[in-house]
Amino acid sequence: MATAVKVDGYGFERPEDFDFETYEEFMSRYLSVLVRRAKKWEQLFGSSPLEDHLKRSSKVKRYTRKGIPGDKRALVWMTMSGALARMQANPGVYQRLLEAPTHDDPVIDAIRTDIHRTFPENVFFVDAPEGQRVPLFNVLVAFARRRPDVGYCQGLNFVAGMLLLVVKDEERSFWLLDAFVGGVVPTGYYTPAMTGLRTDTRVLAELVRARWPDVDATMRREGATFDLVATKWFVCAYVDVLPVETLLRIWDSLFYEGAKVVFRVAVTMVARQRARVAAARGLADVVSAFRVAIDDPANTFAHDFMADVFRVPGSFPMATIDKLREQCERAVLEEDR
Amino acid sequence: MAGRGTAQRPNGAGAAGKICQFKLVLLGESAVGKSSLVLRFVKGQFHEYQESTIGAAFLTQTVCLDDLTVKFEIWDTAGQERYHSLAPMYYRGAQAAIVVYDITTQDTFSRAKTWVKELQRQASPNIVIALAGNKADLANGRMVEFDEAQAYSEENGLLFMETSAKTAMNVNDIFLAIAKKLPKNDQAGGGAVGQGGSGSRRLDEGGAGSQGSTGKCCK
Repeated sequence: MATAVKVDGYGFERPEDFDFETYEEFMSRYLSVLVRRAKKWEQLFGSSPLEDHLKRSSKVKRYTRKGIPGDKRALVWMTMSGALARMQANPGVYQRLLEAPTHDDPVIDAIRTDIHRTFPENVFFVDAPEGQRVPLFNVLVAFARRRPDVGYCQGLNFVAGMLLLVVKDEERSFWLLDAFVGGVVPTGYYTPAMTGLRTDTRVLAELVRARWPDVDATMRREGATFDLVATKWFVCAYVDVLPVETLLRIWDSLFYEGAKVVFRVAVTMVARQRARVAAARGLADVVSAFRVAIDDPANTFAHDFMADVFRVPGSFPMATIDKLREQCERAVLEEDR
Repeated sequence: MAGRGTAQRPNGAGAAGKICQFKLVLLGESAVGKSSLVLRFVKGQFHEYQESTIGAAFLTQTVCLDDLTVKFEIWDTAGQERYHSLAPMYYRGAQAAIVVYDITTQDTFSRAKTWVKELQRQASPNIVIALAGNKADLANGRMVEFDEAQAYSEENGLLFMETSAKTAMNVNDIFLAIAKKLPKNDQAGGGAVGQGGSGSRRLDEGGAGSQGSTGKCCK
């Protein structure tokens, strides 16, 4: 067995029970995938500026689904999500958002509370001047000020933290967060009523019901809803839920194709544990089955995982999602009355 | 990330005899130490900086009372106000709740009182509520007096303890106190309307009878 590396490439300390064997097996195959993909992207784009090429096309979509090379990831995310356009259209805005004092503001106090509680097991999230805690605070404060309708929602700390780890630039991470909340995911995910989030967990239930009535039947019988088991999947877009390499692949497509990808991943995870969920007895058993869905060693194999994500759930027309959203949102609003 | 699996400490395994299962929910303002109390109780660990809980985490732990084994199914919830709309899902059908505040912040005590009111109004009528004044190790920064919280608890029929997830003070004790107070016979059953399908029940019945057995317990 290779020497056990205690920290992964993104600074996350590996837990004591980290499965090095599975990881080694994954990496030995994944490295050749990464090399092949890097070559493909080079061939596709040659030496001219990447952004000139990033027009929406089936080819770029296919390339994105197979993974964006690490050195191009930040730029591709910025371009595809519209974050770059937002940044270029708003010069100096980020800096100005940070000018006002940060005391006596309950929103900022809430952010401050969570800074030390974001990736405490990551070596980059430290108080040292080069650490990511100050950038994280700045990004979240600037965002809360740009979007007072959202302010700060717990979970955004993980999204912003992950962006910082990948993009390694405060202002760019801010614009990516702005594009993420303001365009990539549906409205109302992070607002105080969380209507959009609660709508989407119900949409997921409908998507599952249409595919696997046995899973739906068990969940109904045991009183298990997807907002009970999958809120974090949606709020964090799988940060701190799935392994980092897999997460980044999900985000590659998320920034290109939008929130539909979040459903594809969720449906795939349910599919993989279908038998276990369907056979569950009691709420605790259902919850444990979803725990297994998260801890499944197979999730480490990012390339296979993503192949499943675009195959297993079958066709995913946006019209269906939109229709389900409309229907589920009505139910959520009804519940709030 | 909170809620990684479950763990059983030695005290949970041995005792033969009756096994009771209860749903318990932790509520309280953000960063008062809900996850830390659970982590201390379930795994005997403490992290100075505990990750913010998103949505909720689910863990289980058992305690022994004489010849009785009590298994807690614990829902550890997110503290931020906007996650409030999800809270009823977690306390619905719960037989016990721990409402947590931080003794160094008055606001968290007010928030705790609001939670207690909500539980009294909306949770199962027989729910056992415990109030935990956490971070008792930070007594130098105390803003909530012990007597005040105790008086409030007496008025409202709550169990009350000051706790410290950091030093482990009163952590097992508060769960034990709840276990003792929970009704463990058919007549005195929790009366939970089990919309969550999660009443207390005998474990040796497997899950087969979980639905409809809410509010009952060991026979």
